[in-house]
Amino acid sequence: MEKEKIRELINRYNSQLATTAEIKQIETLLEAGSIDLDELKDIHALEGQVASMEFPSPTGNLDDRFYQMLALERKVKSSFSWRGFFSWPELAPKLALASVTLLIGVGIGYLMKPSAPANADPGVNQQIAELKEMVMLSLLEKESAAERLKAVSLTEQMSAASTKVTGALLETLNHDENVNVRLAAIEALKPYVRDNHVREELVRSIARQDSPLVQVALAEMMAALHVKSSVKELEKIVQSDQTPADVKTRIKQSIDILI
Amino acid sequence: MLRVKEGDLDKLGLLFERYKRPLFGFFYGMTKDAELCEDLVQNVFFRILKYRYLFRGEGDFKTWMFHIARNVNHDHFRKNKWKLKESLENWEERLGTDENRATEFQQDEEMQLLSMAMERLPEDKREILMLSKFQDKKYKEIGEIIGCSEGAVKVKVFRALQELKEVYRELEKHL
Repeated sequence: MEKEKIRELINRYNSQLATTAEIKQIETLLEAGSIDLDELKDIHALEGQVASMEFPSPTGNLDDRFYQMLALERKVKSSFSWRGFFSWPELAPKLALASVTLLIGVGIGYLMKPSAPANADPGVNQQIAELKEMVMLSLLEKESAAERLKAVSLTEQMSAASTKVTGALLETLNHDENVNVRLAAIEALKPYVRDNHVREELVRSIARQDSPLVQVALAEMMAALHVKSSVKELEKIVQSDQTPADVKTRIKQSIDILI
Repeated sequence: MLRVKEGDLDKLGLLFERYKRPLFGFFYGMTKDAELCEDLVQNVFFRILKYRYLFRGEGDFKTWMFHIARNVNHDHFRKNKWKLKESLENWEERLGTDENRATEFQQDEEMQLLSMAMERLPEDKREILMLSKFQDKKYKEIGEIIGCSEGAVKVKVFRALQELKEVYRELEKHL
C-alpha cells in the first residue's frame, strides 16, 4: 500500500472514522510492520495508561517463603538423595560412565581368561583374535603408561600377531616416552624376529634409542638371536661419546658374541 | 542465571529481588488476588530452581521467566476451573461497588476504571497486555514467550487495546 494511503488510513482511525474493514487493513499493516502501534493515537495512549497502572507489592511472606525454599534446596544439594540420584539430568552421565566401565570390564575380563580350547570354532577364535588386536591397539593410544604396558603384554596371548600389531609394537619401541613400555615392546617383539621386516626394524631402532637400558636390552636380544646385521648399529653406540661406559662394555660383549 | 545453573544458588536470590515485583504485578493483573499472586510467584521461582538445567542462556532470562510464569498461570487456572467461575462472580459483585475499589488501591478514577475494564477482558487479551507492560513493549520477546511472530504480537496487542477501549467506554457510560 502506498504511504499516502497508509497515512490516510491512520488519520481515519485516529479520527474514530475507521470502518471494520479499515481496522482489518490496519491489522494487516501492523503485522507486516508497515505501521507502528504508536501511530494509532488512542491505542498508544491506552497502552501508556496500562503501562503506568500501579499494582500492590508482594508482602514479606513471599520473601520468607522464597528464602526458605532456597535454603532447603541448598541443603538438598549438599546432601545425597536417591530422588536426585535418579533424576534424569543427574542420572544420565552416571549411567553413561557405568556403561562404559562395564563394557571395558567385560572386554578386559574376556581377554584375560585362559585361551580358547583347541577344538573351539575357528570363526570364534578369529573373532577373539581380532578383538584382542583391537583392544591392544586402542590401549596403546592411552596416556597412562600402565595401560600401554597392558597393551604390550596382550600380544603375548596372541598366537600370531598381524603386521598391524608388530607395526604398532615397533612404533611403540621407537616413540613411546616410557622406558618400561619400550622394554616390554622389545620382549613382545622377540617371537617375531624371524620376520625379516621386524628384524630390520629392530636393527634400525638401535640408533634411535637414547635410553641405555633399551640400548642394552636390544643389544642382548640381537646377540641371543644372532642378528649379525646389527653389529654396525651397535658399534655406532659404542663409539658415541654420550654412551655411558658400563653400557659400552655390555654392548661390546654382545658384539663379541655376534662376531 | 547461568551461575545458578552451574550451582551457585545464591545468585537466584538476586534474580528474585530483581523480578519479584514485575512478576507479582503480572499475576496481579491477571488475577487481582494478592495472596494467590504470592503463591504463583513462589511457584515460578520453584520451577526456575527445579528446571534450572533447562536454561540455555541463549535468550534473555526475563523472557524465559515470563514463559514459565505464563505456564504457571495457565496451570493454575486449568486446575481451578471450577473455582474460577465462582471467583469471577465474586469479581462481578466487587466491580459493582466502586467504593471498594477506590479504597483498595487509592487509585484515581481513571485508573480505577481502567483496572475494571482490564478485569472484564478475556484472559488471553489481559495476558498480552500484562506481558506488554512487564516486558516494556518488547514485542519480539513477547513473541518468544507466547510462540508467535513479532507482527502477530502487535496485532494481538492492538486487538486487546481495541477491546479495552470499548469496555472502558462502556463502563464510563455507567458512571
